Amino acid sequence: MATALETVQDYTAKAYKYGFSTAIESDMAPKGLNEDIVRLISAKKNEPEWMTEWRLEAYRRWLTMEEPNWQKVGYPPIDFQEIYFYAAPKTKERPKSLDDIDPDIRETYNKLGIPIKEQEILSGVAVDYVWDSVSVATTFRAKLQELGIIFGSFSDALQSHPELVKKYLGTVVPQGDNYFAALNSAVFTDGSFVYIPKGVRCPMELSTYFRINEMNTGQFERTLIIAEEGSYVSYLEGCTAPQRDENQLHAAVVELITMDDAEIKYSTVQNWYPGDAEGKGGIYNFVTKRGACRGKRSKISWTQVETGSAITWKYPSCILQGDDSVGEFYSVAVTNNAQQADTGTKMIHIGKRTRSRIVSKGISAGKADQTYRGLVRVLKGAEGARNHTQCDSMLIGDKCGAHTVPYIEIKNRTAKAEHEATTSKISDDQLFYCRARGISEEDAVALVVNGFCREVMNELPMEFAVEARKLLGISLEGSVG
Amino acid sequence: MTAIARRPVSRHTAPVPAFAELFEHEQQHLPGSEAAALDAWRRTRFARFETTGLPTQRVEHWKYTNIAKVANVAMGLASRPEVKLDDVQRYFAGGPLARRLIFVNGHLATELSHVGGLPEGVVIKGLDVMLRDDPDRVLAALAEDRALDASGPHSFADLNAAFLQSGAWIEVADDIVLERPIQLLFLTVGEASAVMTHPHIIVKLGARAKAHLIESHVGVKDGHCLTNLVADYEVGAGARLDHDRLQLGAAGTTFIGLNRIRIGEKGELKQTVATLGGTLVRNETDMHLQGSFIEAQLNGVYMPIESEHVDNVIRVHHEQPDGHSDQFYKGLALDKAKAAFAGKIFVYKDAQRTNAFQTNNNLLLSDDAEIDSKPELEIYADDVKCSHGATCGELDPVALFYLRSRGLDRDEAESLLTYAFAAEVLERFTDPAVMKLAQERLIARTPGGANLTDML
Repeated sequence: MATALETVQDYTAKAYKYGFSTAIESDMAPKGLNEDIVRLISAKKNEPEWMTEWRLEAYRRWLTMEEPNWQKVGYPPIDFQEIYFYAAPKTKERPKSLDDIDPDIRETYNKLGIPIKEQEILSGVAVDYVWDSVSVATTFRAKLQELGIIFGSFSDALQSHPELVKKYLGTVVPQGDNYFAALNSAVFTDGSFVYIPKGVRCPMELSTYFRINEMNTGQFERTLIIAEEGSYVSYLEGCTAPQRDENQLHAAVVELITMDDAEIKYSTVQNWYPGDAEGKGGIYNFVTKRGACRGKRSKISWTQVETGSAITWKYPSCILQGDDSVGEFYSVAVTNNAQQADTGTKMIHIGKRTRSRIVSKGISAGKADQTYRGLVRVLKGAEGARNHTQCDSMLIGDKCGAHTVPYIEIKNRTAKAEHEATTSKISDDQLFYCRARGISEEDAVALVVNGFCREVMNELPMEFAVEARKLLGISLEGSVG
Repeated sequence: MTAIARRPVSRHTAPVPAFAELFEHEQQHLPGSEAAALDAWRRTRFARFETTGLPTQRVEHWKYTNIAKVANVAMGLASRPEVKLDDVQRYFAGGPLARRLIFVNGHLATELSHVGGLPEGVVIKGLDVMLRDDPDRVLAALAEDRALDASGPHSFADLNAAFLQSGAWIEVADDIVLERPIQLLFLTVGEASAVMTHPHIIVKLGARAKAHLIESHVGVKDGHCLTNLVADYEVGAGARLDHDRLQLGAAGTTFIGLNRIRIGEKGELKQTVATLGGTLVRNETDMHLQGSFIEAQLNGVYMPIESEHVDNVIRVHHEQPDGHSDQFYKGLALDKAKAAFAGKIFVYKDAQRTNAFQTNNNLLLSDDAEIDSKPELEIYADDVKCSHGATCGELDPVALFYLRSRGLDRDEAESLLTYAFAAEVLERFTDPAVMKLAQERLIARTPGGANLTDML
């Protein structure tokens, strides 16, 4: 009988199945970055002048900043002049209906198992498709419009609702927030924009599907979601990229804003190309995600399943400003082969009786390195604030690493914060038990891993849960020990 | 145009010129300065201190303490004031037969110390004596500069080396079991001007040796005084060290302690540290488990009041398999105090079957106080059991209710719970006299503590 280690090794060794690329004509800006490129992107998007200025300001700030190096990931320096900052599928006009979408793009989405039209109607999920940072299609827009919900690409929103964009853009993640957020602010090409009016409960899941296709491109998209008083929205995000030998940079910014009694549930299944077993290629996923609970009793919930990317480096955070607001962070991060992940969250308690809950599950296999890094900060006025943090790591094999770096900073007497963390492995006993009951080795591993991640998986919307479970299986193929 | 290069940021601040002036002035008066090697070593270390500078809060290990504010000022070397035996005696611990070295402002007070009648193979000496008689031996002991482990040069270890003047040299040969405890008593007597002392403790336990070391750091008079201690403890294979440390600093005193511990195969260590006084106290411990089957226990309690500041940094390195380490630290912050804890467990690639635990519980007792906790794990072996837990909160309302239902008034109940929270760690002291001294100080610091004396 194979030992647990061997089983997991077999199990984790499966290849990345979304690694194909699609040959479609792209409209690309020249390589490199300077003020002209920023202006060019802005002009291509036909943006108002204040937007161009906003980008330029971000670019100028970026120039004065330095690339951070405190994180526990290693990569060769990025040459920002070798990156194409703008790549869009070439179309004469924007597609008027879904039928007008380039057949090649449509074929790609079909291969990914997400047919642009049919499946959405069946599952009732409204989807915005982003291709190399440019939105190519949005489904169900009309239906949502009846409710007053604005859902679509960021560029469209900038044309149709510039006042909303202007009012909220950069209020949660300012241009100069950090190195990659500044870069994104300068060169972002598209993304999703969601506005849920007062009292509206979004009747369907909103979803964005991101795909990087072109070589040497960076993907810089920006998502902004605003939930007005008493509204609710559940938003899903999925990502894939073709298999390439070079590293590609993905530096996105996501801003969430909730007003009184509003709730945003943001789920991510991230499966960018992770590079090969030796660590060649793969996506650098350097993302800034932050939500502000501005209103009373509002709630922001982040759920993420991180299986892809050569390097994942992100901390979806909540600023709990409103009294009684709630922040949640549920994460499963799987790193295999030479993948690296430094991920976690920040919960900033400002309002009274604010609550936060953090559940982080890390699985590290192969030669991978993984870090949970989190901050729980209770400010002086956060009377009765409450936090519970749990972060568990599972190590599979003796060449990987798992690290936990939590920061707890409490300035209010009535606040309660708890943190617990464990590190363990899948034991041969557990596998033997399953084997004794007739469960195949591979299924046993999947069972144990799924059990380990259950708390987080339960938070995912139905449509994603199935996909995420499958992904977990694929990412870990070949690795328990 | 090429890639935008990373520029190094300085996370240190340059030392005030007073350090260089003092070093130039004092350097030839320091013990052992006539030995060329020792002199050169002091100069090298001072030069490195000057280049590195003092850490700002941008240095990760100093995130919670602004040390430059108190340490980067002009200070002289502390003189040796007269102290009466009566002032010292109340801090005696380890029983009447304990061997004792007593230091006043870093200077060894031979007339107060007792180190006679030691069994063969045991050496207890002032470091100044060793520096004069056998500087090469001291240098050899210090050569392996373990301060470099953490992350680059350690400013305060360098400063200590530059002004190396006094301290303790304790050696216990293989197989010797010391029946009586050894006490190192450091008294700090505040002076009119700002002063500093740089003691160094070197403890070496041979294979299978056993010793009980008591370290007391006591402030007897308020005043601006920086104690910059470096301590090296080496526990040989199969040896056991029981280590009690009581820190009762006075107002105006800053204590920076760097402890470097190395334990050999099957070695055992039990350390208990209580920090119950001092305007700014920094306890930094670097513990290396260099053999397999080691048992190490680190206990600590810290209770800053008023505007005191306590910062604990612990790094435990599991280098070999089958080690067991346990950190148990409790913090209480009152008034405007700030208490920080950063503990880190490293499990190296070969350290399979490691059991490492870390607990940090905190009680925040005032609206203006602050608690920071950073329990870290860095693990590279897969067959390990590691866990850490950190909590922060106020007194448990259920426990308060229970005590009140038994007839205690609110204040009494609160005092009792506060005391009990901290006393749990004090009970881990090996020496009863140290425990008693710590309890007295704890009661004095607990709000309404006076009422407790009848109850306990």
